[in-house]
Amino acid sequence: MNMNDQRICLWLAPAFGVLLLLAFYIFPGFIPPSSPTMSADEVAAFYRNHVGQIRASMLIFNICGIMFIPFFMVIVVQMQRMANPSRAFAYSYLSAAASGATLFALADLAWLIAAFRPERDPQLLMLLNDLAWMAFITPVGFIIAQNFCLALGIYMDDQTKPVFPRWVGHFNLLTALLMTPGAFALMFMKGPLAWDGILAFWVRVGTYGLYIAVMFFVVRSALDRQARDQAQPQGATA
Amino acid sequence: MTSASMTDVAERPSTRRSTETHAAKSRKRDQWICWWSLPIFYNLFGLIFVYLGKVMPPPKPGLTQAEIVEFIQANANSMQIAWVLLALSLGFASLSSGLIVTQMRRMSGVSAALAYTYLAVLAVAALPGCLFCSLMFALAAFRPDRDPQIVAMLYDMGMLSFVGSLGCFVTQYLVFAIAIFLDKRGIFPKWLAYMSIWGVVTELVAMPIWIFRGGTYAWDGLISFYLGTIIFVIWEVCLVTCLYNAIKRQPLEELTAAQA
Repeated sequence: MNMNDQRICLWLAPAFGVLLLLAFYIFPGFIPPSSPTMSADEVAAFYRNHVGQIRASMLIFNICGIMFIPFFMVIVVQMQRMANPSRAFAYSYLSAAASGATLFALADLAWLIAAFRPERDPQLLMLLNDLAWMAFITPVGFIIAQNFCLALGIYMDDQTKPVFPRWVGHFNLLTALLMTPGAFALMFMKGPLAWDGILAFWVRVGTYGLYIAVMFFVVRSALDRQARDQAQPQGATA
Repeated sequence: MTSASMTDVAERPSTRRSTETHAAKSRKRDQWICWWSLPIFYNLFGLIFVYLGKVMPPPKPGLTQAEIVEFIQANANSMQIAWVLLALSLGFASLSSGLIVTQMRRMSGVSAALAYTYLAVLAVAALPGCLFCSLMFALAAFRPDRDPQIVAMLYDMGMLSFVGSLGCFVTQYLVFAIAIFLDKRGIFPKWLAYMSIWGVVTELVAMPIWIFRGGTYAWDGLISFYLGTIIFVIWEVCLVTCLYNAIKRQPLEELTAAQA
């Protein structure tokens, strides 16, 4: 089986990941993150004063944010190579990854719509700003479900040469756990669980970035192993 | 693939019957985990939407702005807990889709198109049918001191999307029913297909919520809300039971080797 498609999908992750990092750096409300305690007038001033950077960064997010889907789908393909009795976890993973992407798209739209007319009523700008932050930070359940399915798939992959090593399962559960504080930004204005807090923002976003980076190398070696196994005669691997 | 499954069958000892229960359990473990997600998370969703979120049974569409603000303020704390729980757990609804698709793929006389449709529409449905509502109420509860006009709009956006997102679920029920009707293997009983057609009907009778602000056809109405919800709950219980039977009856030979 030719594996070029999987390799292309894999390399889309770092290629677009770099652009996403750049956008993250350009967006004036991430370093440091905008506080939920800002007044409506402060929010309006934020959009008025940084309209160029907001548009530039969120347009990059708009174009590149969904480009992690091909990478996740390589993981789905690899999950189907596991010795699991059925493909139930792979299908679940696919579904969760797709649902999660819709929330990212919604957040991006809200930021761009707010920046489209920064002279709008500050109350409405604050509403769009709240929506953007909540849709961006809080729906962690999808990545948690993805990681849960992948981890269990890895634990049940009882081949002599498993697709992923077992530590990847532990790593997925750990990152799922570190992602959970994000959900609490729906209810906290201040402190570590607010959307600008150390747990809900830095730990959640940092973990996600690190997770993609580590999984890139994990998937790359899985593809290398698959290529090696295919090069050998069938009987030797069965 | 065939060589691998043959060795697996050959390796089994002749006392196959006695070891079958254990083997059956371990070979079906992933499907059972997905199956358990259904009773666990539908109970959790009940807690979230009924007890904490206060959107089921639905508050009235005819409230005045002041009453809406009062409703949000009075329930802000429990709503926020509800939406945090939902944000953490909604992803696990994917596990039930994964299981249903797995069982649909076993059907004979049906291509994967219907199963993949089921997977795709439910992946889409998560936002318009569920999370959008929670986000709107979360926005209202986060700052109940917003302009009352905005709070009232968020209230409408939350309730209307929750009760009035129809197409994803119409498609879901429809492809599920078609697949069961066409399936020659009887993975699911035919009566479940007829029940799924009733699911389509419940979505159609919710159409008037977009027009009526009170009465039987409003979003809290006897037909648009209660009839639909009761049929949905009955359907869900039947689905869980039928899935249980489908996994139970699945021959172990189908589950022998990695499907590359």
